[in-house]
Amino acid sequence: MRQWIVLAIAALVLSAIGFALGAYQTDVYRKLLLWITLALGYNFLFGISGQVAFSHFTFYGIGAYAIVILLFQVGLPLPLAVLVGIALCVVLALIVAIPATRLEGFYLALATLAFAQLFIVVLNEGGAVTGAAGGLANYRLPDVFGMRVTGPWYTVVIVLLLLSTWTILWRLDRSYFGRACRAVRDDPEAARAMGVNVAHTKIIAYTVTSALAGMAGMVYAFVDNTVNPLIFGLENVFLLLFMVIVGGSGRHAGAVVGAVLLYLLPLVLSPLIGHHHALVFGVFMVVVVLFQPKGLIGLWDMLRKRGGRA
Amino acid sequence: MSAPLLVVRALSKSFGGLQAVADVDLDVYAGEILGVIGPNGAGKSTTFSMIAGALPPTSGTLMLDGESLLTLPTHAFARRGIMRTFQHNKPFVSMSLQDNVMVGMHTRLGGGLWRVLLNLGGAARTEQDAAHRANELIDFVGLGEWRDADVSSLSFGQGRLLEIARGLAAEPRLMLFDEPAAGLTPAECERLAVIIRQIAKRGIAVVLIEHDMRFLMALADRVVVLNFGRKIAQGTPAEVQRDAAVVSAYLGDVNVPDRNSMKAVGHA
Amino acid sequence: MNDFLELLVGATASGCVYALVALSYLLITRPTGVINFAVGEWSMLAAFGGFVLLSRLSLPYPVGMVLVLGGMFLIGWATERLTVRPLLEKGAPALAPILALLGMLVVFREVVSLGFGPDPQPVPPSFGFGRLELGLIAGSYQSFFIIAVTLSVFALTWYFFERTLAGKSFEAVAIDRRAAALMGINLRRVTSLAFAGSAVVAGLAGVLVSPNVSAHYLMGLPLAIQGFTALVIGGVGRVEGALLGGLILAFAEQFTVRYAPVPPGLAMGVPLVLLIVFLLLKPTGLLRAREARP
Repeated sequence: MRQWIVLAIAALVLSAIGFALGAYQTDVYRKLLLWITLALGYNFLFGISGQVAFSHFTFYGIGAYAIVILLFQVGLPLPLAVLVGIALCVVLALIVAIPATRLEGFYLALATLAFAQLFIVVLNEGGAVTGAAGGLANYRLPDVFGMRVTGPWYTVVIVLLLLSTWTILWRLDRSYFGRACRAVRDDPEAARAMGVNVAHTKIIAYTVTSALAGMAGMVYAFVDNTVNPLIFGLENVFLLLFMVIVGGSGRHAGAVVGAVLLYLLPLVLSPLIGHHHALVFGVFMVVVVLFQPKGLIGLWDMLRKRGGRA
Repeated sequence: MSAPLLVVRALSKSFGGLQAVADVDLDVYAGEILGVIGPNGAGKSTTFSMIAGALPPTSGTLMLDGESLLTLPTHAFARRGIMRTFQHNKPFVSMSLQDNVMVGMHTRLGGGLWRVLLNLGGAARTEQDAAHRANELIDFVGLGEWRDADVSSLSFGQGRLLEIARGLAAEPRLMLFDEPAAGLTPAECERLAVIIRQIAKRGIAVVLIEHDMRFLMALADRVVVLNFGRKIAQGTPAEVQRDAAVVSAYLGDVNVPDRNSMKAVGHA
Repeated sequence: MNDFLELLVGATASGCVYALVALSYLLITRPTGVINFAVGEWSMLAAFGGFVLLSRLSLPYPVGMVLVLGGMFLIGWATERLTVRPLLEKGAPALAPILALLGMLVVFREVVSLGFGPDPQPVPPSFGFGRLELGLIAGSYQSFFIIAVTLSVFALTWYFFERTLAGKSFEAVAIDRRAAALMGINLRRVTSLAFAGSAVVAGLAGVLVSPNVSAHYLMGLPLAIQGFTALVIGGVGRVEGALLGGLILAFAEQFTVRYAPVPPGLAMGVPLVLLIVFLLLKPTGLLRAREARP
């Protein structure tokens, strides 16, 4: 019961912020919420389940393109398009999960990197279906029950997406499944001895997080009302990884901190370093890995402990 | 006497041309402590791995309570009630002691993900009860004081205790110990023996492979001796100690080394 | 037929470039187990070095080349010293150096992009833009140069590993780090040399390939992927595997573009598909590592 109250309050507060913001700020806010959603999912896959995959952002793209294609090329009505879109995300995630989870560490990283690149190639060569290099644009979300969902009301949709993703991942983490994922990450042989079906655990973790990314993509499609291959390129794939690591891999709070910091920082720094914020991220990444592998959240914990002792 | 819980017949394992274990028969009864000993290379570890489900036998049968274990994958052994410890402690280093023990409960808690996601049927309550039980187990093995410690800060002996707590968490019917006394101080060995006896008293069947003769002989109800992959003797510790084949294989008299057995060991 | 033979030369040259990148990975991966995502960026740095020294400053080719490779040696050494050694010595998890190198990848790329802007820069080929005809086989001077250099590098590397004591110590570290350290092999020196050597080889690949594709700040990652694909195909265990993998990859790529009825853009997908297929079906590659000798 308490959980629902907290969630409801969070939904109200986050949505209210959306109503208070001007146009430019709304765009930043929405994208921030989406990045947090993605980071939470990626943190579960990479940090908690220990799978070094670069496919998370690709599923984001698959979801985005899928909903646009289903609505405006296949011509499905909105509710059906959403359902089919979700089903597509889940099925595709499962199909990729089954071979992917058989790969370890670096092999998984490379295979998913190749998968991510392959997605871009397919988009570029997709002709009219994917809009090729220019992508798809000039569409908008169809009316829902005759009403246009736009502006701060669409922000509410994003808030709901974020909170549902959070709830799903939080509950999974706090259960036998979350422990199983961490056990598999720490020591698969010991996990097996404890009765954990390692293959199934990895597949479920991969499928759930990838499907969630796909659904986030479906929501994203109507934020800029454009989808093109550039958005889903490797830049953002790496950025997501950096967010999770700088924030603190394996911790939900870390994902949030990392997403907020690495998304807002370029906006703040752009007068100084223009488009080269990636340089700052690269440096952050190296510094964090070398000196504070637990990320900013780890740093926060350490400071709190010290403060407690003093 | 009631039927044995674990029945092993003609268990064999060959690696390419090498026959590691040949034709081993074993019975283990609920509530008893069965020790498996033998010189280095006797096939103890291989036999252990097969019983634990980590290694598929080349031939033979493995039955737990009348049900065959032969085609099961490793993780299914826990579900059937067989739990094990690792000689070189394999804790889950990123998790707390309590979470480590709760992983042991995996086969008891897996109620389905939908239940977890939708927070149905007292999923939260189940978690609470599990956490409570985990704490009880941590106390039982004597790690209560270190409950909040980092797993990586535990000593080797304490890590061993954690392994045991984790194994017990699944409420197993058969508990397998892989050289549990290895690396422990004499005081820790004492504590370990007490714990293992208490486990057997609860009706759990215990199998332990061990090198430390003194420890094993004092603890085990029955002993099986392997050499070159075959069973060469079995019986109570006293019977086995007197068995000529065993003595010549590697065992000096545990209490008083006498000239004959020393000679045998020298030539082993 | 001539067309085919010309394609042969071009594909072989491409394959050699991939082979060099694959070798670059291998030199680091074998002794340390670290996979250096940043090799592509090293190639890029060298390509830009080539641009500055050979195009802007118009130094003679051999001089420019030596300077660039010398610079790469230092960069490789510095990268190891600053970002990898602290992690290896701290006993950090295996993933850590790889992530640190990933961060370095971005740093290298952004620094170059800051310094040179987003446009591609020209790098001159070794012997000019002429063509050579050897009987039936014809190709650009650069192609033959690439092939000749690559074969020499591989021959040298093979010799180093098989016949020199230093090379044997590399092998020892590759097989068992701890045992090698116990035998008195200086792990630090091996690791530093591995990184430095790897950077030189990657740099070589960058300078050799850039006359054809120009030096561009984004050229690193595609090259890194192609190199890694070559490595996976050929097998991580053997130096010759890198060469074999590179050639197979290049041939598959070029012949698909030329003869298969698919749009050229999709041909970019060939290395990616091959990589995925090999990772799933034959991750150890085609050539087996040599068995440990008794």
